Amino acid sequence: MKKAVAGLGMAAVMAMAQIPPPAPARKAAAPAPKAAAPKTTGAATASYKDLKYPPPKPIVTPSMEPVTLANGMRVFLVEDHDAALISGMAVVRTGNLFDPKDRVGLAALTGQAMRTGGTRTRTAEQLTVLLENMAATLDSGIGESWGTVSFSGLEENADALLRAFQEVLTEPEFRQDKVEQARQQLRAAIARGNGDAAAVLRREFTNTVYGKDTPYGWPLEYAGLDRITRGDVQSFYQRYYFPKNTMVAVWGDFDAVQMQAKIAKLFAGWTAEQAPVAEFPKVSGVAAAGTFLAKNSEPTLTQFAMGALGGESRDGDFAALEVMGEVLGGGAASRLGRLLKPGPGIRIGASWAANFDHPGLFQISGSVPTFETVKAVRLARAETAGMRSAEVSEEELKAAKERLLDRLAHAFDSKAKAIERLMTYEYFGYPKDFAQQYQKALEGVTRADVLRAAKERVDPDKWTLVVVGNPITFDEPLDKLGAPVTPIDLKTVAPKPAAVLADEAERQRAKDLLARAQAAAGGSEKLAAVKDYTLEASFQFDSSAGGMQVTETDRWMAPSHFRQDSAMPTGKISAYTDGASGWITTPQGTAALAGLQLKQVQGAAFRAFFPMLLSDRTVGRAVKAVNDRTVEISDKSGQVVRLATDPETGLPESARYETATATGEVAVTETYSDYRETGGLKLPFHISITAGGQNYAEVTVKSFQANTGLQVKDLEKRP
Amino acid sequence: MRVTGWGVLWCLGAAWLPAQNLSEFQRKVTEFTLPNGLHFILMERHDAAVIAFHTYVKAGSVDDPVGQTGLANLVSRAMMKGTETLGTRGWEGEKKALDAAEQAYERLQAERNKGLRADAGKAGVLDTQWRMVLEVAQTWVDPNAYVRAIEDSGGTELSLKPLPDATEYGYTLPSNKAELWFLLESQRLTHPVFREFYRDRDLVLQEHRANVEGKALPRVQAALMATAFEAHPYRNPPDGWPSDVANLGVADAQAFFAKYYVPENMVMGIVGDIDPAGARLLADKYFGGIPARPAPPHRHTEEPPQLGMKTAVVGAAPQGLMAIGYKRPDERSRDDAVLDVMQALLSGRTGMLQGELVEKGIAQMAVAQATFPAGREPNLFVFLLAPAAGHTLDDVQNGLNGVLGQLQNRPVSAEALARAKAQIRVGALRRLENNADLAALLPAYYAGYGDWRNLFRELDDSSKVTVEAVERAAIRYFTPVNRTTVYLAAESRGEALPGRTGGQQ
Repeated sequence: MKKAVAGLGMAAVMAMAQIPPPAPARKAAAPAPKAAAPKTTGAATASYKDLKYPPPKPIVTPSMEPVTLANGMRVFLVEDHDAALISGMAVVRTGNLFDPKDRVGLAALTGQAMRTGGTRTRTAEQLTVLLENMAATLDSGIGESWGTVSFSGLEENADALLRAFQEVLTEPEFRQDKVEQARQQLRAAIARGNGDAAAVLRREFTNTVYGKDTPYGWPLEYAGLDRITRGDVQSFYQRYYFPKNTMVAVWGDFDAVQMQAKIAKLFAGWTAEQAPVAEFPKVSGVAAAGTFLAKNSEPTLTQFAMGALGGESRDGDFAALEVMGEVLGGGAASRLGRLLKPGPGIRIGASWAANFDHPGLFQISGSVPTFETVKAVRLARAETAGMRSAEVSEEELKAAKERLLDRLAHAFDSKAKAIERLMTYEYFGYPKDFAQQYQKALEGVTRADVLRAAKERVDPDKWTLVVVGNPITFDEPLDKLGAPVTPIDLKTVAPKPAAVLADEAERQRAKDLLARAQAAAGGSEKLAAVKDYTLEASFQFDSSAGGMQVTETDRWMAPSHFRQDSAMPTGKISAYTDGASGWITTPQGTAALAGLQLKQVQGAAFRAFFPMLLSDRTVGRAVKAVNDRTVEISDKSGQVVRLATDPETGLPESARYETATATGEVAVTETYSDYRETGGLKLPFHISITAGGQNYAEVTVKSFQANTGLQVKDLEKRP
Repeated sequence: MRVTGWGVLWCLGAAWLPAQNLSEFQRKVTEFTLPNGLHFILMERHDAAVIAFHTYVKAGSVDDPVGQTGLANLVSRAMMKGTETLGTRGWEGEKKALDAAEQAYERLQAERNKGLRADAGKAGVLDTQWRMVLEVAQTWVDPNAYVRAIEDSGGTELSLKPLPDATEYGYTLPSNKAELWFLLESQRLTHPVFREFYRDRDLVLQEHRANVEGKALPRVQAALMATAFEAHPYRNPPDGWPSDVANLGVADAQAFFAKYYVPENMVMGIVGDIDPAGARLLADKYFGGIPARPAPPHRHTEEPPQLGMKTAVVGAAPQGLMAIGYKRPDERSRDDAVLDVMQALLSGRTGMLQGELVEKGIAQMAVAQATFPAGREPNLFVFLLAPAAGHTLDDVQNGLNGVLGQLQNRPVSAEALARAKAQIRVGALRRLENNADLAALLPAYYAGYGDWRNLFRELDDSSKVTVEAVERAAIRYFTPVNRTTVYLAAESRGEALPGRTGGQQ
């Protein structure tokens, strides 16, 4: 039997997806051909650009007339005989906009626990077995402004499936342990929340623009989540889940008349009554204009979003505004798309988004090289201002409209999608033929419409700008953009335990060895008192490694600031890291530390001599003894070093580690000798380095000074 | 359960429908063959204004010539690079540069082919010359133009699948733009330009290195095929052996293309809002001009019978990983449906592997796959197992033997059998619902069985699988003689894999 995909081919599909975006058309300085290519006509050589397409076909939507059951529930049925399947969806007027302010998360938790908490007659586990046996799906959830229960399976199992659907919708049991499980999952989502810069940006931008003191902007937090009880969940469910507040659509391979009778019978006993559900809260607040910065330690890319409230789908200008957003920032060929040199992860775009019952967001967002952060924001602002000052070109208009019309066609490319859309229209009180009307409106948008709409609705002076990035690597300070910068406090998550779990005996032996080394090097007190140091050394590289002589200055500051300035025959190289990220300056220019370079500089900082000796008392580092004289030190980022001590003196004798290079990991050994005392501390003044078993360099320390009062701002200052 | 990589092998291929569905389908399907031999299968579905297009080429990595493994894969990538009119900043200039590059490459290869008598210095100079001409050719390229032309015209679900038995290309367009596919597809089949070929070649080598040398799963997978098959080309990695790939040239790709990408050897699938009469006119206009060519010759190599159990150790991994393959017949065998049911019995949240190995804490991962790496010729029923912490490879192997023993000695429950069939059926029906999936299935069944209707006929086979048939097939195929075991031993600390040794920074 034919298998859909033999898997191995996926590599090629992935590779295709990774092809970098095309070069910007503006810069396409094509070498001019000497003579026009011989022109032949006909199908074999015609250009696709000359094809004349008929206008897009009107959007096809199934006809669905609601039937209202005796209990007030509205039902839509659509026959579809292509495959012997049945699917359905209930839509309930509720949403997290109705979360109590002190219990944000209640709606989400209720939505999840409806299915996972089992029903009056079946536990969740029984439900799972039933569904597995039928190879069927059944899910529930509550989003911003509606709740859903949906199912899908074989038509031959319609009765059993509908019954399970009805139970989850009308008699969920919310068993305590499953409420707890749902809470833990939401807690985990909060914990993950700050890990992904794009997610932080999305959350912060949305919440800031809608207003953090409105239901649209309340953040999900541990305290509120922990307050929610099973009783809260049950009351929330009871308030919103009643027949008059519910619509159900079922589609598939059945006879509509029979199905209607079946559903009427199934839901006849559901007679719960509640007062009508109020309107959703209005978006009230004026968005907080200004610049907001959430600091992270991303080494290469800054994420930003700027914009303001957009509009609703029913606005007369929605089509013109969507075209405006598309010309400005829809894809690589748009005005914004051409601003920056393409590269991995680099992207900048815009969209005018609308919601059905409250304003969506007009936003310009990007993921740009951290060294071009301020430049990118400035350029994007200027391009947007340009939308208000002149009409877009005919080609831009045509291309944008075509893309939007294509997208509209794909939004209705299956029956399930079309039915879900129609349910949405019904739910928010839109006309049934809204899709067809909108298609016509899009086709009719003119250049003048776009300009007028941009002038009326886009005002860059009132924008909110949110930046998630690492300010030490920005090209200019953010306040150069003209507004004061408000920091966003990202609540930190408890640190993870160190990576290496050694057993107690090994840890104790390691501590003993380190204690001896600390004592020999000047005593742990003295070592711990070193808050910064400056070390000058001369490197003589082996002839096999190029034979160069290099003078290097290392500056270190607690806890993990590290700067290295090297004077090479070819010029100066400086690098700085704050432990997580940093920059490097070479004669070719400055760049954010990334990849191998970042690893290498972090490794050097990790192995700074005195801090290394104190590893047993450093948070985030793990130590264990490998043998009688060797300690292995590691941290959670994957740095590992094995420090061998001299059995006679107790002082470190050598350090072994692997360092990443372009061609793979190389094993490096540093052998310490010529220990000298300076300011009560002992340190090696000579270091021999071998790499991959070959002599690599001889290092002679010229000077060492501790606690000279170094400042972070001096270390992070670029040459 | 975490299934990386192999997860995509997961899709169930079975499909069965009641007879009335077949007649319903039949009414909507139109077939025609152009005079040059190119076959089209169309299915009308007018409830959404989109059309899925699919090209099925009955040639894959099994057709790679000896010493040129990876060629079919590279040709498939080259097909995405455009034509003389698309993807170039000036065809005349680009053509000159590409011709010059090929001549430089030929000179280089001629010198290298002298073997021991080759002059290393001269080869170095020729290599540099060749690379310089390639750089010039690259300046004429409008990168990614072919893919962009599709996407900018509203194309979605763009797919390229270089498989062992076939190579497939597809995408979905808004229905008013149907002509775009006819134009673009016919142009790349009549005069493709294999630009950026050597870049792709390097890319394939890099990916191969990253996958097979770096990651446990692809390594075990590749070793399983190489060990289980002695003669049949299923033994070769679909992306080729690195030393073969490193010596493939544009001329090789062109020869492969000329031999296999002929009308007689391709089938087109079109599903969606399409008008068959209009499609016929467009097919004539755009594809009619492709000259008829003989079908490629049949490949004869058959895998000799396996005479005994095979085992290979292919290094170490932190946790240990094991792949076991049992020889099984091709997809046209009567037992094919039984083996699919067996896979469903073993897999999933309620499958036997989950219950007996994962939930009992013996395995961290246990996966079954009835057909691997492809189905047209006799292949493998594969298990992939990773021991849970505190368990050894022997434990998981014994656990699997226990499960297979159960299938052989104890009838499966009626409930489990019904569940397995339901899963297969739902998977099949969902694929029939989807335009792009169906556009791929119709040509695949036509090419594999001679008639797309087999998609339905074969069906009954699955629904008719009995408890006895499962038991019989388990006894027949899950035998030691049929078995190949490949594993990465659990790594003991300090004894890392023999990796590459790097140079100095």
